[in-house]
Amino acid sequence: MNRTDESTAAGAPALDYRSETYRDAYSRINAIVLEGEREACANYLALAELLPDHADALKKLSAMENRHFKGFQSCARNLEVTPDDEFARRYFAGLDANFQRAAASGDIAACMVIQALIIECFAIAAYNIYIPVADPFARRVTEGVVKDEYTHLNFGQQWLKDHFEAVRPGIEQANAQNLPIVWRMLGEVEDDAATLQMDKEAIVEDFLIQYGEALSDIGFTTRDVMKMSARGLAAAPRA
Amino acid sequence: MFGLIGHLTNLSHAQRVARDLGYDEYACQDLEFWCMAPPQAVDEITITSVTGQVIHGQYVESCFLPEMLAQGKFKTAMRKVLNAMALVQKRGIDITALGGFSSIIFENFSLEKLLNVRDITLDIRRFTTGNTHTAYILSQQVEQGAARYGIDLHRATVAVVGATGDIGSGVCRWLTRHSGPKELLLVARDYERLERLQQELGSGTILPVEEALSRADIVVWVASLNQGMAIDPATLRTPCLLIDGGYPKNMAGALQRPGVYVLDGGMVEHSLDIDWKIMSFLNVPNPARQFFACFAESMLLEFEGLHFNFSWGRNYITVEKMEQIGSLSRKHGFRPLLEISGAGSEPVIQ
Ligand SMILES: NC(=O)C1=CN([C@@H]2O[C@H](COP(=O)(O)OP(=O)(O)OC[C@H]3O[C@@H](n4cnc5c(N)ncnc54)[C@H](OP(=O)(O)O)[C@@H]3O)[C@@H](O)[C@H]2O)C=CC1
Ligand SMILES: [Fe+2]
Ligand SMILES: [Fe+2]
Repeated sequence: MNRTDESTAAGAPALDYRSETYRDAYSRINAIVLEGEREACANYLALAELLPDHADALKKLSAMENRHFKGFQSCARNLEVTPDDEFARRYFAGLDANFQRAAASGDIAACMVIQALIIECFAIAAYNIYIPVADPFARRVTEGVVKDEYTHLNFGQQWLKDHFEAVRPGIEQANAQNLPIVWRMLGEVEDDAATLQMDKEAIVEDFLIQYGEALSDIGFTTRDVMKMSARGLAAAPRA
Repeated sequence: MFGLIGHLTNLSHAQRVARDLGYDEYACQDLEFWCMAPPQAVDEITITSVTGQVIHGQYVESCFLPEMLAQGKFKTAMRKVLNAMALVQKRGIDITALGGFSSIIFENFSLEKLLNVRDITLDIRRFTTGNTHTAYILSQQVEQGAARYGIDLHRATVAVVGATGDIGSGVCRWLTRHSGPKELLLVARDYERLERLQQELGSGTILPVEEALSRADIVVWVASLNQGMAIDPATLRTPCLLIDGGYPKNMAGALQRPGVYVLDGGMVEHSLDIDWKIMSFLNVPNPARQFFACFAESMLLEFEGLHFNFSWGRNYITVEKMEQIGSLSRKHGFRPLLEISGAGSEPVIQ
């Protein structure tokens, strides 16, 4: 192995945050971040309805998501980018429909899996990968946000753990139904993410680490976790 | 609690191990999947010293594969090592060996500049490369192997392939100080580093690999090759002792020729059976007792309560440290593997 060659090869060219190319990709990535935060805000309110005992805590989470939404709006303004909201709504349609259906039928476990596990882990992974390559303004915003997302994940994790025996099949089912959607979503924005120097491979790995940790804390064995988290990954479209 | 961070030798090896462990979802996947796969703590280990002391450890599979380097996926390789380290630290493990390529990746890509992994800051004092013990065991394999296979070390020529590496340079220092072969041949690609080593040792002949192979009675292989090198056994002397410490193996394929002996380099044998599963995936005759010297180093440090990076960085392995880890190795019941391996090839596969 040639040391110097390889260490430089691992680096990447500097990003031009003001370039047309960057801002074009940002208009979609920022939009899906905004849509994710907007839905998270609504989803925690829906969960507050379903779990009156936890309503106060859930309303607080919802308020945090609202602040995230505003923070990411200012990131777009800072780069003079108009987020492509239309794209983002289509992007989230599948997951959102599943959440709405679960909420309407009172399936709390599925709601928790979709919002507090899958969406939060997805956000944590994407934000962690984004931070080192973000523009300085967005970096500060994202660093603050990602800390909050960990607390949201913990909330869902704790609730599912407390009810593990009862909700285990529900978790497995929601996992099987929604994880393949996440892989498809990641595939759809792979090129835009790459423009922002966010590696899809790295996001998936970070997601799997976070998600796997959550599942094993909730009560699943390593074997279960490997089975559940690999669900649908191989079938996902690749670049 | 000690930890071992390991990886498998290639994709088909990884698929086979996943199948044998019953992780069917991983067994049929391609390299791209392994590039995304997170590290997994897949085994729990209990080992008893000949002193009676019992310790526990965990094996973490990093999901790194040497093919990733061959294909230029350097970022992936870096991520695998950092994520595996973050996982052992999160589990509160006191001392962990970075097996095989893990420490090479750590050094070559300067991972010490990237110690913040998500919400964890890696504490490198909890990690050891295990290279001091590996260099000690290889040196023992040279000395004891020579005696066993009828080679008079003082009249023998010993070649070290990868001489300027962390392990290789340690082996060269030991051989120069203790073993006194007739001649020491130094092989690597970078000539300047070879000259510096030669100067430090005050002896040794720098040679290209082909020439060194045709002149050596004993060859120690410790080059960081992500794929094995093809060797023509007809060009070797007889008798010739080949000690392959590479992981994956430096030598591709089996060498069949009378008088050519191949040892699994850098491997130890413990005096008592170890309670673990993972080693049964290596091609060793007795997986309950035989395994990598670098892994054994983290066990030795755990037995002794030495929770710090005993082996770290590059080219700091001294003969004194090799003697120190060597005496711990003997105290707890480890010895160098001296039986000829089934083949000079890599662990089974296909
Ligand atoms: N059995 C065990 O317990 C352990 C085994 N290992 C294995 O030992 C080997 C060496 O590890 P380590 O000392 O840490 O590695 P280093 O990176 O420190 O050294 C590698 C050496 O190999 C040389 N080298 C690399 N490519 C070639 C080539 N094509 N031809 C000749 N020489 C070459 C390098 O010099 P140059 O670049 O100038 O050619 C250098 O001298 C690896 O295979 C590793 O996996 C590691 C740890 C423990
Ligand atoms: Fe949020
Ligand atoms: Fe959140």
